[in-house]
Amino acid sequence: MIIAEKKPIEEVIEMVKDFRKILIVGCNECVTVCEAGGKREVAVLASSLRMYFMNQGKDTQIDEVTLERQCDREYLEEIRNRIEQYDVVISLACGVGVQFLAETYSRFPVYPGVNTCFMGVTEERGVWSERCQGCGQCILGSTGGICPISRCAKRLLNGPCGGSTKGKCEISKDLDCAWQLIIDRLKELDRLDEYEQIAPIKDWSTERAGGPRRVVREDVRQ
Amino acid sequence: MRLQYPSNIKIVSVPCTGKIDLIYLLKSFEKGADGVYVLGCIEGECRFGTGNLRARKRVTQAQKILDSIGIGGDRVQMYNLSSSEGPRFAEFAAEMTNKIRELGPNPIKRFREKLAA
Amino acid sequence: MIGISGEAGNFEVEVLRHPRYVDMEKCIACGTCAEKCPKKVDDPYNENLVKRKAAYVDYAQAVPLKFAIDKENCIYFQKGKCRACEKFCPTNAINFDEKEETLFLRVGSVILAPGFDAFDPARFDAYKYATHPNVVTSMEFERILSPSGPTMGHLVRPSDHTEPKKIAWLQCVGSRDMNRCGHGYCSSVCCMYAVKEAVIAKEHAGDDLECSVFFMDMRTYGKDFERYYNTAREKHGVRFTRSRVHTIDPIKGSDDLLLSFATEEGVITEERFDLVVLSVGMEIPPEVSELAQRLGIKRDESGFCHTDTFYPVTTTRQGIYVCGAFQGPKDIPQSVTEASAASCAASVDLSSARGTETLSVEIPEERDVSNEPPKIGVFVCNCGTNIGGIVDVPAVAEYASTLPFVAHVDQNLFTCSQDTQDRMRDVIKEAGLNRVVVAACSPMTHEPLFQETLLACGLNKQLFEMANIRNQNSWVHSSDPAAATDKAKDLIRMAVARAALLKPLMAKRIPVNKRALVVGGGVAGMTAALGLGDQGFDVVLVEKETQLGGFSRELTQTIDGSNIQEHILELIDRVTRNDKIQVLTESLIVGFGGFKGNFTTEVLVGPGMYERKIDHGVVVLATGAREYIPREYLYGEDERVVTQVDLSKRLELKGASDLKDVVMIQCVGSRNDAYPNCSRICCQSAVKNALHIKELNPDANVYILYRDIRTYGLLENYYREARRQGVIFIRFRADAPPSVESSDSGIRVAVKDHVLQRDIQIHADLLALSAGMRPEDTEELSSILKLARNPDGYFMEAHVKLRPVDMAGEGIFVCGTAHSPKLISEAISQAMAAASRAATFLSQSEITLSVVTATVDQERCAACLVCVHSCPYGVPKINRDGVSEIDPALCHGCGICAAECPAKAIQLNCYEDDQVMSKVDALLEGVL
Repeated sequence: MIIAEKKPIEEVIEMVKDFRKILIVGCNECVTVCEAGGKREVAVLASSLRMYFMNQGKDTQIDEVTLERQCDREYLEEIRNRIEQYDVVISLACGVGVQFLAETYSRFPVYPGVNTCFMGVTEERGVWSERCQGCGQCILGSTGGICPISRCAKRLLNGPCGGSTKGKCEISKDLDCAWQLIIDRLKELDRLDEYEQIAPIKDWSTERAGGPRRVVREDVRQ
Repeated sequence: MRLQYPSNIKIVSVPCTGKIDLIYLLKSFEKGADGVYVLGCIEGECRFGTGNLRARKRVTQAQKILDSIGIGGDRVQMYNLSSSEGPRFAEFAAEMTNKIRELGPNPIKRFREKLAA
Repeated sequence: MIGISGEAGNFEVEVLRHPRYVDMEKCIACGTCAEKCPKKVDDPYNENLVKRKAAYVDYAQAVPLKFAIDKENCIYFQKGKCRACEKFCPTNAINFDEKEETLFLRVGSVILAPGFDAFDPARFDAYKYATHPNVVTSMEFERILSPSGPTMGHLVRPSDHTEPKKIAWLQCVGSRDMNRCGHGYCSSVCCMYAVKEAVIAKEHAGDDLECSVFFMDMRTYGKDFERYYNTAREKHGVRFTRSRVHTIDPIKGSDDLLLSFATEEGVITEERFDLVVLSVGMEIPPEVSELAQRLGIKRDESGFCHTDTFYPVTTTRQGIYVCGAFQGPKDIPQSVTEASAASCAASVDLSSARGTETLSVEIPEERDVSNEPPKIGVFVCNCGTNIGGIVDVPAVAEYASTLPFVAHVDQNLFTCSQDTQDRMRDVIKEAGLNRVVVAACSPMTHEPLFQETLLACGLNKQLFEMANIRNQNSWVHSSDPAAATDKAKDLIRMAVARAALLKPLMAKRIPVNKRALVVGGGVAGMTAALGLGDQGFDVVLVEKETQLGGFSRELTQTIDGSNIQEHILELIDRVTRNDKIQVLTESLIVGFGGFKGNFTTEVLVGPGMYERKIDHGVVVLATGAREYIPREYLYGEDERVVTQVDLSKRLELKGASDLKDVVMIQCVGSRNDAYPNCSRICCQSAVKNALHIKELNPDANVYILYRDIRTYGLLENYYREARRQGVIFIRFRADAPPSVESSDSGIRVAVKDHVLQRDIQIHADLLALSAGMRPEDTEELSSILKLARNPDGYFMEAHVKLRPVDMAGEGIFVCGTAHSPKLISEAISQAMAAASRAATFLSQSEITLSVVTATVDQERCAACLVCVHSCPYGVPKINRDGVSEIDPALCHGCGICAAECPAKAIQLNCYEDDQVMSKVDALLEGVL
C-alpha cells in the first residue's frame, strides 16, 4: 500500500488561509489504512481548520467528503456537482489522488493534505516501512523475496558493500543491511549458490530514469 | 457525599473513555466549549484493558492540535480516578474550572465580534 | 438468626428482624433525616474516627441504599422527645412504631457467612493502642487512606492532623500469638494488606515518606503476591525488618512513638516513628460462636467452623454449609470462591426444586415507532425537596416544553413512586409518546424502573433517556439555586436532544446448550464435573491421560492426615457412576470455536485418535499443575536428593527408621529470578513430612532450611507443633543459599545460621527439596481457546479479587492448580465454585445479549485492520467479503473500535456519534 503522513496543520493553514470556501476530500483506500487521510482524518482536519478560521475572525466554509478512491475518475465524478461552490480543495489522498483530482477539476486549486512517503507495509499499528520503489523490473525472485532496490541504501544489485557491519547498514544501526537479509534468507532456502552468481546490469529504463511511466494493456483496454 | 463543585461542568457519559473520539474533543471546542476533560479509570484498571490509555493518547493529540491553531492545548485534559473517589472528582472539577478561568473563554467565541471588526 | 429446626431439604429458620424505623418502600435515601438529626454518634464504618448521625446509612454505597435509625443513640428513643427526622422526611418514611418481628423461613439449605471481627489490640498494654492516638489499627489506617474516609484520603495522623514522615507497621497483632491472646493461627491476609497500605501511603504522600514493616515471616503466598512484595521493596522502597516489636513508647514532649525491638542480628534497637499501624488479625466474634453453638455446629479450638479437607464448605450439620472467614482466615478472592463453592453444595441438594418458584412478567408487544417523528415526554422530578428545594422545577418544566419534539411535560413530587409510574403509563398512551425523558436522579439506580414502564406501554426500552438533575446538580450545587436551575435546563436540553435520535434496539437472544465441558480429570476437574452432574447438567470430562486422578495420584496424605488416594478413588467412582458425566480419557483438545452458551470443541479421543466434536455451553478449565523438577542441589545426580513428593511416597513405603538426619530446603524453583512467585504449598509440605518423620522415628533429626515459613491460616498450628517436636528451622537469605555436596557418608549441607550468625554443616542421609509448582499444558490450550495467562503460565481470571473463577471470556471458568498453586482443599473449593458459576449460566435456557455492541457499516469499511488490532477482546474479524464483522455475542461494548476506526465505519449502539455529539451540540447551543 501507499504510505502517507499527515502534513502539519500549520502547513495546511499556510496553503489555504486566503480561501473562503474549502472542500476537504478524503480517500477510503491506502491513506485510510495508514490513518493519514480517511474519513476520520478529514473530520479532524476540518474541525481544526474551522476553529482556526473562526479564531482569525474569518467566516470560512469548510466541508468534508471522503471518496472511495481518488485514483479513479468514476469516484472523482461524485463531487462534480458540488465542487463548483468551493474556492479550493484539500485532498488527503496520496500524491496520485491529489494529481488526478487536480487533473479532473483543473479549474480548481488543489492542495495536498498529506505527504506521500513510499510503498510499504504495516509492521504493527502505527509503524510502516518501505518495501518497493516500483522499478518496473522485479528481481525479487533471485533475491529471496527481499528487495535490494528499496531496502539497500545504495540500491546495490551485488551486495553487500563494505558498510555492512554485524548485519546493519552503515547509515543507521537500526537499519538492517538488505544484503545480509538476502544472504540469510537464501541460506535458509538452501539457495546460496544463487547469491554467488553476479547479477547482470539492471535495465533502469523502466524505473524513473526512463522518465514518467505508463502501462498499457491492449488485451483489456476498451 | 454531595461535595460541591462548580456548576459549569456538565457530564456526557460514555461506556469507556476508549470510546471518546478525537473528533468529539475537537468538535466540542468548535461548538464553543471553554474546556473539556476526560475522566477515566485509574491507569491499569480499565474495565476493558486499555481504553483509558487510548483516551489519553487522543487527549494528547487534541492538545497538540489546539495549540497549533491558537485555541490552547491546556483547555483539554485527562484525569484518572476510581468510582469511589468522590473528593477527587470534586477536586478535578475545581482544578479544571480554575485552569479554564485562567485561560479565559474559548477565543472562537469572539468570532462574531472579530468578524464584524 | 435465632435457630434452625428440621433437617436438610426442609429447614425452618427462625429470624429475628430488628426494626430500622424507616419504611424501606418509602425511603428514597435523600438523607434529610440524617441532615436534620441533632444527635452525633461515633461512625463505626469509619472506625469511629469521625461522627455520623443517629439517623444514618452505613456508607454511601450501601445496598440497599436505605436509611435507618440507631435506637441506642436516638434522642427520641432515649429521652422521649425530638422526632425531627419524622417531621422533615419528605416521603413520611419514618416509623417510630415499627416493632421487631420474628420471621420463619422455609428453606432447603443454609449457608453460613457470618464473617470475622478485627482483633482489638486495646488489650495489649505494651502497644499503647488504647492510650495513644497515633497508634492505629490497620482498619483505621484503611479509612485514613480512603478518599471517602474521614480525611478524604489525605494521609494525616490522628493526634495533630500533620502528615507523617515515618510510619511503622507491626505484623501479627492478634495472630501467631498463643502467649498474649491465645490465637495460634495466622490470619493469612495481614502481610499482604500491610504491603499494600505501605505502597498506597507512599503513593499518597510521595517518596519522602518512610514506610517500615516489622514482621516475623513475610507471607505473600497468593497468586502474584510475591511480585507485589518485590515491587514494594525494590521500586517503592518500603523497608522490611524481620522483628517482632515488643514495646511502643510515647516520646515525651511530642506525639511521636519509640519502637523497641531486636534486629535480626540480635541487637536491641530503638527507632522513632510518627505513626504506628498495628496489623490486626482476624477473630471469630462471640455472637458467631454462640450462633454456631445454637446450631450444633462443630468448631475447632480457635473458634473457626470445622470442615473436612475434602469437603471444605460442609459443616458437621447436614444441609448447612459455610464460607468466608468463619471457615478459616482468608482473603477476598478465597472468600468469593468459597461463597460460590457453598452455593454449589447447597444447589446440589436443591437441584430438584430448581425453577419451581420462578415468576414471569407479561410484556405487551412492541409498538413500531420507526416511521413516527419523535414525540418526547419529559418528566421532571422534584424528588421531594431534594431537587425541588434547590431547583426551580416549575421553571425548568416550562422550559422543557419549549424544546424541539417535546409533546408533553409533567412535574412530579416523586417520579419513582408507583402512582407516578401508573400516571406516566397513562400519559404515554394517551399522548402517543414515543420517547421518554426523566429528569431526576441517577440512571444507575432508576433507569431499569422507568424502562419497565416503557415496556409496559409497548415502547422499546432504548427510547428512554435520563437527565440527572439531582446527583449531578441539586445535590452538588445546593449553595447556588439559580445556577442549579440553569444547569437543570441545560441537562434536560441535552437529554431531549439525544432522545430525539434514539432508535429502538432489540436485544438478541441466544439459546444455551446445557452441557458443560470440563478439561482435566484431576481432583479439581472431577469435583467440578460432579458439582454440575449432581445438579442435573450434562458434563463431558476430558482427560489426556489413560486414567483419572491427575497429579494427585502422586500424593499420599494431607497435612491433617486425610488419605488422598482414598478420596481420588471415591471421586473416580462417583464420576464414572454418574450418568450425567461422560468421561473421555486419552483425549486431546485440538480445536475450539463459538461463544458463550454455544461452544464447539474438537477432541481427539483414545489411542485411535478419532475426532469428536462436542457442543457445549460452558467450559471449566481444570488442567492442573505438577511439581517442578529441580536442577538445583544435585537433584537427579545423587539419589539421596529427593523432592517433597518423593519423600512423602518414601515415608509411606519404607518408613523412616533408617533416617537419622533429614534436611529440607525450601523455595526450590520458587521466589527466584526465573520464577518470582511463591508456590504456596511447599512450606506446609515440608512441615507435613517433617511431622511424619517425627511420628515414624522420633529420634530422627529434621532440619528445614527456609526463607520465610508460610504456613498461613490454620496451617500455623502444624508449624508450631513441628517446632514443639524438635524440628529445627534454619533461615537462610536469598543471596546466601545453602551449599550441597555429595559424599560417601551423606549429603553435606552448609548454611549460615541466622541465630548463631555462623556457618554450620549438616550431614544428611536424605535431602528433600521443596520444589515449587509449574502449570500443566496451559500454553497449548491458551492458544487454542484464546485465553490469557500470567507470566508464570497460570490462567488469568477475569478479576483477581471479585471474579476469581471466571475467565475474561464469558462462559469459561477456571479452577484448581491451573489457576495458581494451591492445596487440595482449596482446589476442591474452587472447583465447586467453578461448577456453581457454570451452573448459573447453564440454568438459563437462553441468554439476552447486551444491545450496546459495535456494528460495522460494511460499505464504508476499508478493511484496514485497525479494529482488529485495537479490540481488547479480539472480536472484529475481516470476513470473506473482505470487510470487518463484529459478532454481537462476543462484543463487550467498550466502543474502542468505533473511536479508532479511520474510515468512521463503526458505530456503537446507544452511543452512536450523532447521539453523543447531540448532547454537546445541545449544551453549547447559542454559545457562538
